[in-house]
Amino acid sequence: MILYHGDPNGPSLTVLAALEESGLAVECRAIDLLAGERHALPGISERVALDMSVEGEGPVLVCGGEAMTDAIFIAQFLDRQAGHCGLQPRDPHSHWQMMMWCRQVTERLSPAVALLGNLANSRDRLRAMADADFTRLVEAVASADLRERWIALRDGDPDPAQVQDSMAKIDEFAARVESRLEGGRGWLIGGFSIADLATYAWMTGAVLLREEAFAGKPRLEAWLRRAGGRDCVRKALARSKAADPRRSFAPGPEINRWG
Amino acid sequence: MAEVTLYHWEPNANSGKPMLALAEKGVAFESRYIDMLEFDQHKPEYLAINPQGTIPAMLHGELVLTESTAIMEYVDEAFGGPSLMPDNPQDRWRIRWWMKFMDQWLGPSFSMLGWSAFVGPMVANRPKEELEALIERIPLPERKRAWRKAMFGQFGEEEIAESRRRVSLGVALIEAGLGKREYMASDTYSLADINIFNSTYSLPMSDPALATPEKTPNIWRWLKAVYRRPAVQRTWAMGRGRLAERFHRIMEDLG
Repeated sequence: MILYHGDPNGPSLTVLAALEESGLAVECRAIDLLAGERHALPGISERVALDMSVEGEGPVLVCGGEAMTDAIFIAQFLDRQAGHCGLQPRDPHSHWQMMMWCRQVTERLSPAVALLGNLANSRDRLRAMADADFTRLVEAVASADLRERWIALRDGDPDPAQVQDSMAKIDEFAARVESRLEGGRGWLIGGFSIADLATYAWMTGAVLLREEAFAGKPRLEAWLRRAGGRDCVRKALARSKAADPRRSFAPGPEINRWG
Repeated sequence: MAEVTLYHWEPNANSGKPMLALAEKGVAFESRYIDMLEFDQHKPEYLAINPQGTIPAMLHGELVLTESTAIMEYVDEAFGGPSLMPDNPQDRWRIRWWMKFMDQWLGPSFSMLGWSAFVGPMVANRPKEELEALIERIPLPERKRAWRKAMFGQFGEEEIAESRRRVSLGVALIEAGLGKREYMASDTYSLADINIFNSTYSLPMSDPALATPEKTPNIWRWLKAVYRRPAVQRTWAMGRGRLAERFHRIMEDLG
């Protein structure tokens, strides 16, 4: 197995930390997601999940020639592959709660943070690219809607309604975590799980983008410190090639287009 | 009272997912029919069960479960009967990947096209004030926007064209996927088949230009196999009205 990953932020952080927690021996290869390197990976015979990932530019685990994507599902795979390393609750109801929480992360939190994070951190680099280089980059992106998100990020004007909505979603999610941690709860669902990893992976970058969402939330603040202090998270963050991985973004999931 | 109570509409799309999963596992449940076309899902008595006003919802003893795909995983883990998730971790990953692809990318396009064709005409005879009142009691803002668009026919040409592009591409990807394995995501029948069947079972009638025995032989083979499953037939025997009639007509045509 080979894991191609970006700098440890967002989905790449979720998977790198899950891999550390699992203890599995997987070869890790860092790639530059914002240079489009994910679309030129070698040795892939089954690529639908790479081409059509709902997550956008996330890590890719290649296993038996098949490209596996979508960070939460890769983390679940690693947990099971390691004979249940503790990243998923075993009782059905807690497992349902974890999946429900993670779906909120993928549908609400991650599109919001990705939009704001890309505008703040990635757009200038794409704009500095020569037109011909950028055209080559997007031509390699198989999904037309993901390609459109690359083009909109570089050449479009931010949609004020989407920006406003994204800020509101980060505010809501911060309040949701603060409320979830009431009553002395240490982690979001039972013990430390993929719900904590996936939430931390997006929230840690959101702190720089929407500081006011985090103000006056002591339980959220303590949880961020606790999650960031986990061995698996510290080891994943240590792989960073950037000065601050919280600023590493590439086009992510789309904003909900229907219902 | 049964141990399991399911609030559902027709065995179609999201409502059908837990219905089919429960049927495959052989779990009896008390059925509470929520008539989506009468907007039962936004009435106070249902909002007391699921404040988000989405269907289905399932009660298992004291527990309340929502979100159709997550309910299916719960059903598979919480009850005995045949497993709907294989042991192989990569197969399990693939099942989840296809379910997300349907739930978050392809399904919304099927839904937009369906709603644009049916919801407007369905409510055309109702006064505008009544429709506004119905919209007002929808809890989720994004669902409010969706219902408003559908009721008042506010779809743009561009978004409908984009939905058509996605449906066409999505069907081609499903066809290719079913060319690689017996079932959608593994060599055994799984939750991915239930999920995807529930949004594609009507393709032979709703989109005959897209899915035919010649153009999509793998989908045809797979539809036949799924339609014939006893659990699918038992579940659709619970259907009412137009959708159930359509199901039975397609099953006859498939042969």
